[in-house]
Amino acid sequence: MKLNWFIRKGIIYLPASVVGWVILVLAAAYAVYTFIDIDSRSHSVSDTMINFVFNLLLIGMIYTIIAYFTDANRKVDPNSFKEFD
Amino acid sequence: MKDNDEFLKKMEDLQVPEINPTGHPKMVKMAILNAERSAALGVWLIVVPCYFLLCVFMYYFFHVRLSIFVSMFNLMSSLDKTPYIGFLSPLLLVGLPIVSVIINMLSIMNVQYRRLDPNMPGAKEINISIRLRFWNILLILVSLAIVCIFVCYAIAENITVR
Repeated sequence: MKLNWFIRKGIIYLPASVVGWVILVLAAAYAVYTFIDIDSRSHSVSDTMINFVFNLLLIGMIYTIIAYFTDANRKVDPNSFKEFD
Repeated sequence: MKDNDEFLKKMEDLQVPEINPTGHPKMVKMAILNAERSAALGVWLIVVPCYFLLCVFMYYFFHVRLSIFVSMFNLMSSLDKTPYIGFLSPLLLVGLPIVSVIINMLSIMNVQYRRLDPNMPGAKEINISIRLRFWNILLILVSLAIVCIFVCYAIAENITVR
């Protein structure tokens, strides 16, 4: 089954369907929730930021892994076909 | 009738291309994964270890004693101490860079295994070719460096001299 949920622009995957947008909104909502949660428990701005950036990177990584397997253009690179004499 | 004769004459005068049967046969070498997609995922897989290493180098080697770096170390140590997610830090710092190495290797490598002579069972060859794609090779080298740093750290930390 081919899932065309995302489309790649450089290293960023953008949603290409409703499911893709739902996943992006869920990821963003979870990031906001994480920020509020960390901010309520932390004692300084730097403490909040370092924990939030770490969580944000994790969320971005999981989002990218999902998008990698549901990319609309997931096909073999045409440049990978090469003739050798 | 006249057209038919002209057509036959044209066909007879056609230049036949010359084929050299002794020349090397051309081969199509295909990578398993898409190189650009593998590079995009590889960046995301090594971004967390790179961020952690940046904090380590800034704090211990360049002596930038900022509290944000201390917070990062506290976060990683709390991951180790928290039950059920103790596997998370080795997975993030070593497992994901290894995955990055594998997917980027598969996107630029081509391996061919074949028998040279069907009558001779021992006559086999394996051809490994690597496409020179800058970003994939850079990601492989960075990922390998990250894995080496953490493996060396684990060995040095756990080794005991008796």
